[in-house]
Amino acid sequence: MDIMNIIVCVLLFSGLFFLTGGAVGILRFPDFYSRLHPAGKLDTLGSFLAMTAFALFNLHHFSLGALLTSLKILLIVVFIFLASPTATHGIVDAGVRAGLAPWTKGEKRR
Amino acid sequence: MKIIGLIITVTTGALLFYAAGDFPAWSDPASPASTYLSPHFIEKTMEETSVPNIVTAVLADYRGFDTMFETAVIFSAGVVCFFLLRISRREDEEPETRYYRHVLTGVTIQLKEGHEIPPSADFERIDSMWTPPDLIIKTGCRLLIPFVQLFALYVIAHGHHSPGGGFQGGVILGASVILFAISHDLRTAVRRMSEKLIGILCAAGVLIYAGTGALCLLLKLNFLDYSALAGVLHVDPITARSHGILIVEIGVGIAVLATMIWIYNNISSAGRYRQGL
Repeated sequence: MDIMNIIVCVLLFSGLFFLTGGAVGILRFPDFYSRLHPAGKLDTLGSFLAMTAFALFNLHHFSLGALLTSLKILLIVVFIFLASPTATHGIVDAGVRAGLAPWTKGEKRR
Repeated sequence: MKIIGLIITVTTGALLFYAAGDFPAWSDPASPASTYLSPHFIEKTMEETSVPNIVTAVLADYRGFDTMFETAVIFSAGVVCFFLLRISRREDEEPETRYYRHVLTGVTIQLKEGHEIPPSADFERIDSMWTPPDLIIKTGCRLLIPFVQLFALYVIAHGHHSPGGGFQGGVILGASVILFAISHDLRTAVRRMSEKLIGILCAAGVLIYAGTGALCLLLKLNFLDYSALAGVLHVDPITARSHGILIVEIGVGIAVLATMIWIYNNISSAGRYRQGL
């Protein structure tokens, strides 16, 4: 049990924690906009942590090929970071333009 | 009429089920397909075509005719979409009032009675149903599109070694241009890639494929037998087959790319090419 394994485990489990939170949020929040909030934020953070854990775990037996694979995994993180919030913003924007009013306290879930 | 249709459907279905009983069992090693054809492809593909990915070799070389007509089907899908949906300019006369936006200040101008501003860098033609472009989406897509296109080219070029090839790469390339059209607007996308260019590319892709086959015919071998290209490419016949596959994959990629954009342009603007989604 070296230090690397502990770091990987901590990263992976915190990533899973955020992904679970995102899933629960999508199921439990009351309306379109608030459901997009966990979908956009927690999934991005969760996949960032989990992917970083994968990249580190892959470097266990260090070689140039493993380093290249890790860099590719980190590249996926970069693209998720760019694409996921942009897509969430676009969906919210489309909702506002289509005239969907946000949910307020006391209203029914929809 | 409905009853006749039902009878025909049920009879055909029953016949198909009856015939399915004669099929060889799942993964039967003694079935005709696995006795002659599959072992040949698995054992000989590398030495005959020097392509590690058997699927690519079968698709573009051994069964080249099939793929050529698949490309032709995609081409005709694009053309059909164009002929069905496109509304020609004569029927769709220009609107009385036009809207322009001053690029630097964002001021919108309305011109009545058919007046228009000649095309310049200062003013941008917009539509009445226009929604302002969103800076975040525009910037995000501008950052992503080059990588999407780079990956598409990789998928096309790397079809010899990994899953991929002309169809997949062409779809990704087309999707990148469609992403551009969604994040900006259709008018900007059409200005970058005009309808004429799309039509020419669509036909050019099929022409590259069929032309490669015809070139083999001119060089005294069978249609789509790429080893005939050895003299032209200055390589041995086996490498020539590998290169021939790459050439037709590029043709497929161009045809699929153009068709994707063509269909999107026509459907999203209902054939008017004014304002996309």
